[in-house]
Amino acid sequence: MLKFWRNPEFVRHVRAELRPARAVTVAVVVLFLCALIGLACWSERQSMLTNAENSAPHIDGKWTAYVETSRQQNSQQTWLLLCKWLFGLQCGLVTFWSLFACAQSVSAERDRKTWDFQRTTSLRPAEMLIGKLLGEPVLAYFGMLCVLPLTLIAGLLGGLSFWSLVAAYGSIIAGALFLGLGGLWVSTLVETRSRGVEMIGGLGLYGFTMGAHAFTTTWFPGLAAFSPVTGLHTVLGLDSAGRRSVVPPLFGHSVPWIVLTLLLDGSFGAGLVLMLVRNLKRDYSEIRPLSRWQAVGCAAFLNFVFYALLKFGPSTGSGTDSRLLATFMVSINGAILFAMGLATLTPHERLKVWWRQRAVGTTSLFSEDGLPWPWLALSAVVAYALMVWGLLAWRLSMDFHTRTLGTAAVQLLVVLVFITRDILFVQWCTLTQMRQPVLKGFFFLCLYYVAAAVVSAIRGISGEASGIAALSILTPVGVFDPRVEWLHFSAGVYEGLALQAGLIAVIVVGISNRLGRVGMVATASGD
Amino acid sequence: MPYDGGRFGAPSQIVPGKADPLIELIGLRKEYDNLVAVEDLNLTIPQSEIFGLIGPNGAGKTTTIRIACGLLTPTTGKAVIDGVDVAREPERAQRSIGYLSDFFAVYEDLKVWEYLDYFAHAYKVEERQISARVNGVIAQVSLEVKRDALIHGLSRGMKQRLGIGRAIIHQPKVLLLDEPASGLDPKARLELRNLLRWLQEQGTTILISSHILTELEGFCTSIGIMEKGRMVRSGRIEEVTAAEHRARDMRIGWVGDSTPVIEARLNGFPHVANIKLSAGWGTFQFAGSDDETASLLADLVGAGVRVKTFGEVKQTVEDLYMKVSKHEVM
Repeated sequence: MLKFWRNPEFVRHVRAELRPARAVTVAVVVLFLCALIGLACWSERQSMLTNAENSAPHIDGKWTAYVETSRQQNSQQTWLLLCKWLFGLQCGLVTFWSLFACAQSVSAERDRKTWDFQRTTSLRPAEMLIGKLLGEPVLAYFGMLCVLPLTLIAGLLGGLSFWSLVAAYGSIIAGALFLGLGGLWVSTLVETRSRGVEMIGGLGLYGFTMGAHAFTTTWFPGLAAFSPVTGLHTVLGLDSAGRRSVVPPLFGHSVPWIVLTLLLDGSFGAGLVLMLVRNLKRDYSEIRPLSRWQAVGCAAFLNFVFYALLKFGPSTGSGTDSRLLATFMVSINGAILFAMGLATLTPHERLKVWWRQRAVGTTSLFSEDGLPWPWLALSAVVAYALMVWGLLAWRLSMDFHTRTLGTAAVQLLVVLVFITRDILFVQWCTLTQMRQPVLKGFFFLCLYYVAAAVVSAIRGISGEASGIAALSILTPVGVFDPRVEWLHFSAGVYEGLALQAGLIAVIVVGISNRLGRVGMVATASGD
Repeated sequence: MPYDGGRFGAPSQIVPGKADPLIELIGLRKEYDNLVAVEDLNLTIPQSEIFGLIGPNGAGKTTTIRIACGLLTPTTGKAVIDGVDVAREPERAQRSIGYLSDFFAVYEDLKVWEYLDYFAHAYKVEERQISARVNGVIAQVSLEVKRDALIHGLSRGMKQRLGIGRAIIHQPKVLLLDEPASGLDPKARLELRNLLRWLQEQGTTILISSHILTELEGFCTSIGIMEKGRMVRSGRIEEVTAAEHRARDMRIGWVGDSTPVIEARLNGFPHVANIKLSAGWGTFQFAGSDDETASLLADLVGAGVRVKTFGEVKQTVEDLYMKVSKHEVM
């Protein structure tokens, strides 16, 4: 499996996309572009030097010395500039190409109807994955390979160490592979090639990964390592906006950016690999991103990453308050639980089987094919346990109160109840006849929250308290009120909790009725 | 286990054959949202059989074949190919399976030999055998002159032949063919038949589905009739036909105006029913033995009827299917 160059899927892409004529054309075009960039860099440096020399007679002696130094270092600086440009272009090209080529791979094969034939071969999902991940963007990797010698020469002549250059390439390749995996995952979730969906998913992922650079100024600066741009910035000495001075922490200890990039891309990439290997050979209707235990593990891992990358200190400019951190983690866990809930929705067919088995008592609530709510609760318990661990571990660095743990427990409970309601609603949608039920269920939920906000705003006209009460009943926003002490949340929060519990019961009854009804449908044909 | 008539819910419908079963479908059931596409299907097909799965569109043929080759997971039950549970060990089972569907999608940006080479590697054929295997299959599907041509430039018929080549490149023990002749011209159909017969002689077990019954006539060794997800009949063709047609359809032709005599003689003879006579020819059903058939003919000739033709009307798969689908024989 490790000999990817002998992987049939990789070889297929190489044969199809790198026929001699095309390979030569790509190499010539790429080298021609490099020559143009080289000329542009030389021209810029020459222009800068000429301007400096022309200004020297009019300014004091320090400037003359600077001009002299610049002249002496001109050659090195020109090479360095070229190297930076080449790295920037390779980073943009390879990451973008990898993401979008992979984002169309599986869906395009489904579209061309070649996917079934590939699925019936003896290729294991992992082999298919490696072949596609490296094969789909093979043209971009080939282009990078053509530029590589020139980049190394330019970097070395520009004064960079060999290991800096290796680290920069490591950062680009890690980012490209991570984005490629993300693209493959998007492609697996699309039934046929739908450029719109793939484009939105791809751009979202690309925007997040590249934009992760902005995390450097938050509580979690380590998350910036997701972006290959961060690695390039630090390795190549692009310290614009003073970002180079931020050192990423891991469990409070400073680590090099490139190490963190590899750790994050590696661990999150491993999660994507897990989901892909699980589902790549499955029929579209049978895709289930994660098993229930994997979802719990994933929720635990994500929480763990946040606490591992947490950084308190003057540079963050925050109040370093345990309440604030706990509230933030509760809101993050809301997103995590929702994502895990969606990832563990049970397909209609499996849920019916579970329902029948449950009726005769041969399966439990915690079954792999059952409703997702028991596992959401378990994930929330794990998240809370990690929160306790995280807060206690960091207690010396912030103004920690034990009451924070009680407040966070209620906050998490309220969030869990709302998320459970939402996930059960989406599960109910999957039992209806609507097309793309998960997507539509999600949109219905968005509509619900917008409507709740509008209702609260209208009630808010008669008084702020009234509006907040409505918001607390209809949404989990009430628990994030910073003025609340201990468990003294507004009555609306507890009323909302009771209301949502009732709604959950109604949805469960609705699901039961659907499953019962489906079981009575007479045999019908289906090819 | 002997063939038991193929009623719904039967423990297993075994097609008698020469050797161990290569295809076993055990209690197979597949449900979609509110449909039951395949319902409690039990079927065992021994080695070297060509088993024709027939039924109307929507009978569950495609679903059955897709489950058998691991493309779908059954709701309950299992498919076992060459002793390997397809759902548990799909890659191992798929080494024994060649799959062909009614569409012949191919990778258009590859050359003919590259396409077969890709699938040979994907099916994990031994490296040293691949080159010879690719060339052999190219010859089998008559694409020698196009060996180094891009698939993009091939005609539809050639692409279909290449698809067949893909299905047999790893010399599978089992071929699962879902409407493989759809879209093929008559010559290509004949070639496909010949190729499948040859593969059968080599020991390949073939499960082939079609709703064009003449396509399977005189070609399959066994048949199964599916309707609404259920296997309503299965077994060797002659056995199924014999089981459902104890009364044989007979046809008689004569010269002269002997209709009243013939009607009288037939009515007087035991095991005769459903007589339909017109000028110069007629049909009736006869449940007697071969000896009694000969006696009947002698009786008619003895009565002065100038018999021109006399014989059994051979039941085709189509006749049988039409009777089953009209619930005449259920």
